[in-house]
Amino acid sequence: MALASAGPTRLRRMTQSRWAPWLYLSPALITLVVWIYWPLFDALRLSFYQWNMLPTSPQTFVGWENYARIFALPKFWQALRNTGVYIVGLLPLAVLIPLAIAIYTHDLPEKSRNIYRAIIFVPMIIAPVVAAAVWRWLLDPGYGLANQMLKGIGLDPVKFLSDPKIAIWTVIVITGWKLMGFSTLILSAANANINPSLVEAARMDGASKWEVIRDVRLPLLSSTVLFLVVMTILLGAQWSFTYINVLTGGGPLGSTTNIYYLLWDFGFSTMSVGWGSASAVILFLGFGVVAFVLFRLIDRYSFHDN
Amino acid sequence: MTTEALARPMARPLRRISERSGLNTAAGHVLMVLLSIFCLFPVYWMLASSFRPANAMFETSLWPTTMSLDNYTQAVDAIPIARMLFNTLVFSALSTVFQLLTGILAAFAFARWKFPFDKLVYTAVALTWLVPFQVVMIPNYLLVAQMGLLDNIIALILPNLAAALAILLLAQAMRGFPKEVMEAARMDGARNWRILWEVLVPNLRGTIASLAILIFISTWNEYFWPLLLSRTAENSVVQIGIQMFMTAEGNQWGPLMAASTLASLPVLLIYIVLQRQVVQSFMKSGIR
Repeated sequence: MALASAGPTRLRRMTQSRWAPWLYLSPALITLVVWIYWPLFDALRLSFYQWNMLPTSPQTFVGWENYARIFALPKFWQALRNTGVYIVGLLPLAVLIPLAIAIYTHDLPEKSRNIYRAIIFVPMIIAPVVAAAVWRWLLDPGYGLANQMLKGIGLDPVKFLSDPKIAIWTVIVITGWKLMGFSTLILSAANANINPSLVEAARMDGASKWEVIRDVRLPLLSSTVLFLVVMTILLGAQWSFTYINVLTGGGPLGSTTNIYYLLWDFGFSTMSVGWGSASAVILFLGFGVVAFVLFRLIDRYSFHDN
Repeated sequence: MTTEALARPMARPLRRISERSGLNTAAGHVLMVLLSIFCLFPVYWMLASSFRPANAMFETSLWPTTMSLDNYTQAVDAIPIARMLFNTLVFSALSTVFQLLTGILAAFAFARWKFPFDKLVYTAVALTWLVPFQVVMIPNYLLVAQMGLLDNIIALILPNLAAALAILLLAQAMRGFPKEVMEAARMDGARNWRILWEVLVPNLRGTIASLAILIFISTWNEYFWPLLLSRTAENSVVQIGIQMFMTAEGNQWGPLMAASTLASLPVLLIYIVLQRQVVQSFMKSGIR
């Protein structure tokens, strides 16, 4: 009796457990394949074609021509350079200053720390479009508060968003505004996690305040710092997209266009699917290489507490 | 290391710290107050400007000398903001529910079974988190156009039915769940489906709730995908409303600030009520 019933149940279990995981996975996997993996391949295919997105017009195969054209385009190199400027400009705002603040304020009482925490997190939950609108108002060349204050102390108004030399830094500061509080919180949390006895031991050995920071805190914070640096490098230019789109439209004279904005420009302003897709493929490969190298670096150089 | 340190007499170093720390703490407060002002002031200025009547718009006083709701009535007249807020709510709520559902199911598969290619599939899911949306936007746009769903709220939700972040976080949480409890439920004859919904999900409420907050707020603030699909204000989300308002009305600062305030209000309210949880859920999972 027992033997007879064990057979089919076990069989059912086995077939069930072979298919069950895939059944549970299917809704998520189908979504990711349809909306991310398939589009990746489709972008690769379209990058070899010339097409203006109209369903009625033909797709013409042009081989590597789209790539050759893009690499020959000064606009592309300018956008690439700007992407570098965004990343370098964001690093102090998203990592260095928050790191300094986190270390400097670690001994504030719990209660006031909670209040600061609640306040400096606010930019993170404000929608980028709203942030763009508010900053545009604050920085308005005629009546914005910033320029009214500059006028008040007798300075000339600054064209924060329409001067080609300044606009990119304005967008960087706005992006930094969004991230600074958040990075500070992440670093503060990591800093608070450092075992106080390590700091105490260093002090007993006669280490000065600066030596404690240099030899104990910074090494123990290194993995969090590296993580933030990697996120800034990988995503920094992406975070600024909304501000560029709403505030400068990539201008003046392309001075705020980064590689993500260029993609959008190719795809949806000039309606050239081939160019847009080719630059998407270039971006994706470049992004992949950078991500791979950075994650290897994290693995190798981050210093672990235990 | 830890126990050794605990055994050590702490009295002397402690006193030394407290002597020195008065000045440091004051400087620390100054630093934090400055950072707080930098972070909060733009939001405050938005609120303050939204209540200033048109003739006092360019005043620089911190507190509006006269208050009016004119800007709000103007904003409501200019764009169908109630409709847009409702669309945004539908978009965010549905995206949250679906991402949680697909995430819970997929995470369970990873946590419960070993199956062929499980590591590969897990990596493939994780990698999607790193694909910039700008890279896949053209094919996604074409797909939506083929389906005839441009300018439709449903199309906004489709790519948001599942997300790597939800799957990975939930899989992590489920793997951390004590195996013995799941085993005990199985001994009692519970099938997988019941184990998932009656044992795992109720026990992971905390993770699920914080994930829900995160998804809801990020979807509410989503800009890029709606921007691609929107044609008319009535069928779009409030973020696009603000963008349209800025392009169409130029420098109508008062109504623009009123519209911005209305768009941020739901998220700010969530934040005021659930401050601690919101901060935690963002810190746990994501910067994106």
